[in-house]
Amino acid sequence: MRSIRNIILSLKKYGFLIKQLVSRDFKVKYKRSVLGVAWSLLYPVLMMSVMAIIFSNVFKFSVPGVNYLVYLLTGLTYFNYFSEASNLSMSSIIANFGLINKVYIPKYIFPLTKCLFIGINFLLTLIPLYVVIFATGTGVNIYHLLLPYSFLCLFMFTVGMGFLLAAVAVFLRDMLYIYGIVLSLWTYLTPIMYDISMLQNPFFETVLKLNPLYQYINFARTIILYKHCPTAGQFIACFVSAALVLLLGTVVFKKNQDKFVYYI
Amino acid sequence: MDDIMIRAKDLSMMFNLGIDKGFSLKQGFVDLFDPKKKKDKSKNNFWALQDVSFEVKRGEVIGLVGCNGAGKSTLLKIVAGVYKATKGSIEIYGNVCPMIELGAGFDMDLSASENVYLNGAVMGYPEAFIRSKYQEIVDFSELHDFMDVPVKNFSSGMTARLAFSVATVVDPEILIVDEILSVGDAAFQSKSEQKMLSMINGGTTVLYVSHSVESIMKLCTGVIWLDHGHVVKMGQPEEVCREYLASIGQTI
Repeated sequence: MRSIRNIILSLKKYGFLIKQLVSRDFKVKYKRSVLGVAWSLLYPVLMMSVMAIIFSNVFKFSVPGVNYLVYLLTGLTYFNYFSEASNLSMSSIIANFGLINKVYIPKYIFPLTKCLFIGINFLLTLIPLYVVIFATGTGVNIYHLLLPYSFLCLFMFTVGMGFLLAAVAVFLRDMLYIYGIVLSLWTYLTPIMYDISMLQNPFFETVLKLNPLYQYINFARTIILYKHCPTAGQFIACFVSAALVLLLGTVVFKKNQDKFVYYI
Repeated sequence: MDDIMIRAKDLSMMFNLGIDKGFSLKQGFVDLFDPKKKKDKSKNNFWALQDVSFEVKRGEVIGLVGCNGAGKSTLLKIVAGVYKATKGSIEIYGNVCPMIELGAGFDMDLSASENVYLNGAVMGYPEAFIRSKYQEIVDFSELHDFMDVPVKNFSSGMTARLAFSVATVVDPEILIVDEILSVGDAAFQSKSEQKMLSMINGGTTVLYVSHSVESIMKLCTGVIWLDHGHVVKMGQPEEVCREYLASIGQTI
């Protein structure tokens, strides 16, 4: 209990720093580009359009009973958040060495800041997602109000992974490259462009369901596409996977953070 | 007992100079076949500080003297919380303002005014505080016309002035200073020295590192002389400084 109180006190104390760092990321990212912040909306829209065209028109993928475009975009939105935020978090400690070596700042702030920064982007990509949801006639229902629950789980999971990766990357720079490969493998192991039942192999299905990202995406699809309330099992699976990874990441990060200064 | 601000007990700090910025698989594989490497490992351990103990009371201004590599900056960084001591303990009572390296956390792409807020946040000041002191910071740095210019277009003197102005706007209980009085041109130097003096006279506890024995004798109430991580002597400024200078073949 005391550690939770400490975390809240620390967040309160460093809230302004987190805010400043997030806003710095925003300002620096779009400096000197003509369209500026509009890119954070435009970029995902264009990227998703490319994916949508390739998978629904060229490869003619489809998932029975639902609108494939909405199906694909839901998965992409969630997965893109995870891959971008975890990637940035991983290098955040190394990139901010200049600060870490000069002033005392709790080191967890750097991965957390990256997850928040990409989180804002994630919220912006919900706009095009909802445009498509309406345009395709999929429509909304009351259960959409439950979606923030899956955002929260996704965020917790990503922060946990970010802590874990950041700590590992300090000691093992190879991780920066290895993770790129892991991510691309992960993209295909997550049912983003296909449905899990298309595999027609019960063993693979079970294995893929162990992927926490599948749980969050599936939670969202249950609401958006199948229009019913997620089962209690889905609620539990989302929370437990997110909490476990967050706990693991926090423990590993906390145990090693004092050694960071010698390795970067 | 109340008025002790910093209490360091048997502080030791070890760096492993053999750490080659992270471990890579290739290097690990090569090392497997290199029997010499293993034996050498303990030789790479470098003790930047060994069994340093001291206490600083409220209002004291403690100077640290010693040659390069004596462990002065390491000690300051331990007090500032950047490093964690390998052995020993340190207790600090009060908020610490570290002025170890000015401009830590400046983002070259941001404008000067954006950097004031960012740097202030890095130093741990609350938002309302920076907002209320913003004008004071600008006035002190005398950079009124340049606040919207990205810092990357600043000269090094201008950057240092801005950094000094942000760093010294607080009234900290413990101030850690690592040779920063010499920033900017002559006029700004005397101005910054005045500012430091007024902070010191205001009852702030100070840890001060300088190679200028003159300024140490002028400012400090006590001096710690470090050499190769050990405390050689602690005591009155004049006495310690005289011996320190004698050891390096100079006189006052």
